[in-house]
Amino acid sequence: MVGSSLQGLLSGSIIAGTPLLYATLGEVMGERAGIVNLGLEGVMLMGAVVGFSTTVKTGNPALGVLAAALAGALFNMIFGFLVIERRANQLASGLALMFCGVGLSALLGAPYIGSQIKGLNEIRIPILSDLPVAGATLFHYDILVYLVIPIAILIWWALFYTRWGLSLRAVGEKPTAAFAAGKHPYRLQYQALFIAGLLGGIAGAHLSLAVANTWAEWMTAGRGFVAVALVIFSKWHPLRAIAGALLFGGAIALQLQMQARGVPVSPFLLDMLPYLLSLGVLAVWGGARRHAAPASLGQVFRGTE
Amino acid sequence: MNIRRSSNGFAFLVLLTGLVMVIVFNLTGIASAQPKLKVGILHIGSIADAGYNQAHAEGAQVMKKNLPSVELIEVENVPEGADAERVMENMIRQGAQLVIPASFGYLDPALRVAKKYPDVKFVHPGGYKLAPNLGTYWASTPEAFYLMGVAAGKTTKTNKLGYVVALPISFFLANVNAFHLGAQSVNPKVETRVVFTGTFLDPGKEATAANALLDQGVDVVGVIVDSPITVVQAAEKRGAFSVGYHYIGVQKFAPKGWISGIAFTWGELYTRFAKQVMDGTWKSEALLGDLSSDYLTIAPFGPGVPSAGVELVNAKKKEFISGKLNVFQGPIKDNKGVERVKAGEAFPIAALGKMDWLVEGVMGQAK
Amino acid sequence: MGLTAKQANEAFRFRSRWWVSSIRFFGLFGLAFLVFAILLLAFGKNPIKAYVDIFSSTLGSTYGLSEILVKMIPLTLTAVAVAVPSRIWLINVGGEGQLYIGALFATWGALTFNSLPTWILLPLVSVLGFLGGGLWASISGILRARGWVSETISTLLLNYVAILLVNFFVFGPWKDPESANYPQTAEFVDAATLPAIGGTRVHMGFIFVLAALTLFYFVLSRTRWGLEMRAIGGNPEAARRNGIPITGYITLLMFIGGGLAGLAGMIEVSAIQGRLRPSLSPGYGFIGFLISWMAGGNPLGIVAAAFLLAIVTAGGDILQMAHGLPGSAVNILNALILFVVLSRQGGKVGVKW
Repeated sequence: MVGSSLQGLLSGSIIAGTPLLYATLGEVMGERAGIVNLGLEGVMLMGAVVGFSTTVKTGNPALGVLAAALAGALFNMIFGFLVIERRANQLASGLALMFCGVGLSALLGAPYIGSQIKGLNEIRIPILSDLPVAGATLFHYDILVYLVIPIAILIWWALFYTRWGLSLRAVGEKPTAAFAAGKHPYRLQYQALFIAGLLGGIAGAHLSLAVANTWAEWMTAGRGFVAVALVIFSKWHPLRAIAGALLFGGAIALQLQMQARGVPVSPFLLDMLPYLLSLGVLAVWGGARRHAAPASLGQVFRGTE
Repeated sequence: MNIRRSSNGFAFLVLLTGLVMVIVFNLTGIASAQPKLKVGILHIGSIADAGYNQAHAEGAQVMKKNLPSVELIEVENVPEGADAERVMENMIRQGAQLVIPASFGYLDPALRVAKKYPDVKFVHPGGYKLAPNLGTYWASTPEAFYLMGVAAGKTTKTNKLGYVVALPISFFLANVNAFHLGAQSVNPKVETRVVFTGTFLDPGKEATAANALLDQGVDVVGVIVDSPITVVQAAEKRGAFSVGYHYIGVQKFAPKGWISGIAFTWGELYTRFAKQVMDGTWKSEALLGDLSSDYLTIAPFGPGVPSAGVELVNAKKKEFISGKLNVFQGPIKDNKGVERVKAGEAFPIAALGKMDWLVEGVMGQAK
Repeated sequence: MGLTAKQANEAFRFRSRWWVSSIRFFGLFGLAFLVFAILLLAFGKNPIKAYVDIFSSTLGSTYGLSEILVKMIPLTLTAVAVAVPSRIWLINVGGEGQLYIGALFATWGALTFNSLPTWILLPLVSVLGFLGGGLWASISGILRARGWVSETISTLLLNYVAILLVNFFVFGPWKDPESANYPQTAEFVDAATLPAIGGTRVHMGFIFVLAALTLFYFVLSRTRWGLEMRAIGGNPEAARRNGIPITGYITLLMFIGGGLAGLAGMIEVSAIQGRLRPSLSPGYGFIGFLISWMAGGNPLGIVAAAFLLAIVTAGGDILQMAHGLPGSAVNILNALILFVVLSRQGGKVGVKW
């Protein structure tokens, strides 16, 4: 009994946590380059709707995922234009992007509500999937779940072990110094936002093509904002984000699992924990070590000044 | 300081433009068309959701087909609360004489608007308060859920049944209780687990909830949320059976695992409402239909249901209609051990609004 | 933290002749409306008729106007809730959560003291609303004043905690026993309901708005405190050296800002909904943030921006009723207006994180 409970919880956390992780990784990218995007919710919605509609029209969920990623990236470029090119306030631009995403996805998705798709399938790995306990828990997911950890590692490696990543982080910390050193802050920020958009779009696609297999208006239900909080919780580190996503996804899954098991627990108090933990982590760290955030997060680089 | 002055300038321009437009639009009127019977209907979600909203929407379409002189004003995705009032008022200003606020949470806003416009008639599904010009209607679903339970009880292989429910509203609790009692009557070993998602529509949570139930070994999943698509598909994906709700066309989402479903077919009822408003015979009442009504329909059975099950369902259905069988026939204990219905008595259908407990054998939290 | 020469130069550009400003102004918003019109065309709708419908349904009748005013009330309050702290460069994205906690406190008062007469109960409930939002924001204020957590982050996170807290009470201890186990509190007694004017829904919360706007303007421009606030906003280091208590202002201004948002929550439950429900606010806190930024924290600008957004948002109804578009589509128009304004604001003074 305990075994199946734990297993159910773990697989629930993995499934719920995967879209969160994709979105968080994207946001980490952007914030490491000094840009905070509150409009992640909108990007995810665009990914969800484009992924779903493409799959309905072509019958191929893989195409759906690709289209979703592209849509997310392009949508995020609107945001990029505003904050990089026009030096607009990032918070306001992000919120505006969110509203745009909500409305645009509703408009695009309206004809597809109630449509049926063959979503992303479970992929069975020859021997591993048949393992007694570990098999069911770890090896019967769709491809996006399998890919998310390698992608997280890839991003970690890119951020911390490549010259490109170093430049990117420099832009996030001290853009004037990076500029003086010959880097191109604007170009790097655009690249970061493009990747962030790709990942945000995939996050949305996972929701509509693998988790729920349907489209509904505003189906992300705040997950984009949860991802923004997750970035803070993981202290802007891609690998810690994995743990964070499991935790946050786990909180969602946990209360539903507990109900299914008849355990009396208030879902709302449980859902509060991740946010309170994030605040707590920051307060403790913030007191001891100034800011874990990239120093120039939220500011706008003004070229030669 | 220059910036402040220019902000002020912009602000003045916006307000000035607004003032000009107010004058312009108040001087020129919009010609209003000659009203036939205009019916306004508000939906809480999308009318293509293969669920609650689509059932209401199709009912309205049937009404329009039956009565060509009826004009329909339809608005989807209206949030409950302040916006609902505004939308209803806008409909009335466009000439609506009959308003159908099709969501539980529209009751308060509807009552407020009803007070303001005593000549407009309102019919509210599932409401529990009446007004001189606001009536309520619903179909008593526990009996239908009982029948679903019978079918499920005969089809399950693991004897574990599950329900994904939006909120622990009394009517939903009554449905789940009825389902379990029905299943138990043909299969004493069954247990039912309930998971509440906390909201009428959230596909992500519904899928997670369904999977949580399936992880527990449940092999029949029922659903009471606005759109049954997600849960039914989740069950089908994992080879489990499903029971639908609201809309009659859900079977296509689960060709193999479909057991049956309860559907609302409001068309003829809406037609009757419209006719009554048109010839002035409408009166406010709390209409509660049952299995014999034409707006409560049992969906066709799926391939997995044994024929013995189908026969049982049909037999019990006749017993309900003839009044021989009562869903909440005592003795009934709740899942905390408290006796709720004594032996020889029956829980009155009219008091369903007060049911805040789950029957013994159902795992879940009602409060 | 003052203006650089380049920024000051750009600011001078705005002081051109009034008709150039007007053209720029109309061109600005016109661009947003134009792009939306193209979108409407792409979906086979008639943009001209759509716009006529939007404006006539909102401005063409007393009822429509009254509804615009009703929508403007919470929006203005949440916008000033952002504007007040923004004077010393604090960023308050927590309006939503502060609104919810204000509603929570107000609900507690209305339900607990439901036998008191109106002239005591209503002010009490209002004060509670202000207190609730204010205290909630003070958490972030203190965290920032102590140098531990940026208020942007903490206000953002506390939004969700606030909404969950309200859910907890509405689904649990405060659930109305008369409502078929539906998650909502009991209805407020009449004594706790803000009265409305005439037959419209415009209610006395209107007074709060006027008071907030006037006080904000007055304090900022004519009092010593306003001077100190502007000093901090202009040059924090110099202000500190002159003995101005910055940490005190941080906490105080966050408290006041949060309190205003809390008032918005109070009027939402007292005047509009009549009880506390999970679906309390359609994002008033966030929209208020956007309004404040569009207006540069300027009281008159806030009114104008709230007016504009209220029209567009209310116009969504007619888009759906008469043109078959999802109501949510107006969010695109709102976003376009914001984009257009934001892309101009970029040249202005930047904001510290």
